[in-house]
Amino acid sequence: MAIGHCANTRVTDPNENHMQERFGLRNLGIGVGLRTAHYREILEHSPSVDWFEVLSENFMQTAGRPLEVLDQIAERYPLAMHGVSLSIGSTDPLDWDYLRELKALRERTRAHWVSDHLCWTGVAGRNTHDLLPLPFTEEALLHTARRVREVQNFLETPLVLENPSSYVEFSGTPLKEWEFLKGVVEMADAGILLDVNNVYVSAKNHGFDPETYLRALPMQRVVQIHVAGHTDYGTHAIDTHVGPVPDPVWRLLARARELGANAPVLLEWDAEIPSFAVVHAEAERAREFLGNVDVAGAA
Amino acid sequence: MSAASAPALRELQRWFASVTTHPQGVLEGGFNPKRSKQLERLVTPGPQLSAVERLQIYNDGYFARLVECLTDDYPALSYALGESDFAALARAYIEQHPSRSRSLNTYGKHMATFCRTRSEPWAAFASDLARLEWALVEVVHEPVSQSLAADVLSTIPAAGWQTARLLPSRGLRLLAFDYPVNLFFQAFRDEREPELPQPAPAATVVYRQGLALWRMELQPRAALLLKDLICGVPLAVAVAALETRSIDVKTREELARLLPQWLGSWVQSGFFNGVELA
Repeated sequence: MAIGHCANTRVTDPNENHMQERFGLRNLGIGVGLRTAHYREILEHSPSVDWFEVLSENFMQTAGRPLEVLDQIAERYPLAMHGVSLSIGSTDPLDWDYLRELKALRERTRAHWVSDHLCWTGVAGRNTHDLLPLPFTEEALLHTARRVREVQNFLETPLVLENPSSYVEFSGTPLKEWEFLKGVVEMADAGILLDVNNVYVSAKNHGFDPETYLRALPMQRVVQIHVAGHTDYGTHAIDTHVGPVPDPVWRLLARARELGANAPVLLEWDAEIPSFAVVHAEAERAREFLGNVDVAGAA
Repeated sequence: MSAASAPALRELQRWFASVTTHPQGVLEGGFNPKRSKQLERLVTPGPQLSAVERLQIYNDGYFARLVECLTDDYPALSYALGESDFAALARAYIEQHPSRSRSLNTYGKHMATFCRTRSEPWAAFASDLARLEWALVEVVHEPVSQSLAADVLSTIPAAGWQTARLLPSRGLRLLAFDYPVNLFFQAFRDEREPELPQPAPAATVVYRQGLALWRMELQPRAALLLKDLICGVPLAVAVAALETRSIDVKTREELARLLPQWLGSWVQSGFFNGVELA
């Protein structure tokens, strides 16, 4: 696809050297997704954790306890914000009320970056609260990249986009998922949240080679990496964020690192959530797969 | 299907959303032979699943996610109705109230009203219980304001009592019920496996102190007084109204003993965040 011929868009050379790796954002180290089940433990004992990722929408449309907890955690730990409802690929207009609240939340928490998913979550004013797949077409790419630009201009920070797991593919789409992801972030000058569990799940569901996926990505744009568990049903896998991280997913993390993804790693655990100590210990296993990379929260 | 004939993004998204949110599922609901051809053209089969099976994952996920959200907000109602009936109720709710918000924090807000419209024998009880559980959700999301000092009432000058109004905290909900749902809720929390109760009027206050949520059962007279105070009736007027309802001496004496206890407890619990002296 002739991305470079699109009018009014700045196209970044894929071999660019001028781009500051990870936009100069701090490598926060090994983090854990903040979950309600662990609030008490974290507030009472302040466990030694490099950083937390917070789910943006959990702290929006509220003026109460969630924000009070978040304020206390933000005082003690570095944070990044991770959203599920930006719906960047939707053909509905951008929701500026949502974006204003998102921006205010970032200012309140001093989050190091803001991420969401390369997907859409609803249309015609309805929200499915799911990460729905985009067709990998030029129309969708241009549409999404333009909106990413708009959001970044408003938020005044690079938007970091995660590859979601997917369970369908659309026929007649000229691009592969990794080409689509690369095209959007380069056209919009955005970051990548590389979820290696999602790469694994989608590879299983669509029959592609995860190595091909990883090799195609502009790793200097990978701002953050997700690891998580999934449920393998034999015929397909679903991104359930349950249980420890399976070995193949850890191996993809190691491979991403070998290919140049020098980014902080975060564990998501959302189903059958065990104690904070168990979750944190699982997250810390990432160090075994990252080689000698400095992920100890270095500036 | 060639790339040139691919549907426009907007058209594809509207089609995809309609199929994957259809209450009867991809096949039974949004599927017919004519549509089947279109669907099979748009969505490719996977290595081991058909196009329909792949789409159904999204349909299943849509309802499962929102049912889970409602179960989180209404755990006692879920227990009271049983998993199957609650899931049916939740799915009917989802059909009636598709989410239009970016956040799920307020998704379940219509549940009490929705229960009231149901024809099942438990409808009235379920509606009361849903009102209690939703109040707990609401209070979580309200800010906690500065509570009044414990001795604030004693600082009101005598001349000010006729006009002094107590300003209620935002995180305060006074609820009147036809069923003793707070007792049911507590028994559920204590894992005492309560049965659905018979009707009996009850009043409960839901409030928050710090990070903790609290429920306080109120006597009928206390509920009347608190209701007046929340509505902005001056303290002395509200107390006088209560006294006129006390027909005999014994009741009045009892009221005189209870009033300071009630008011002291309410102030200490942070029901009010200010006193307005007109």
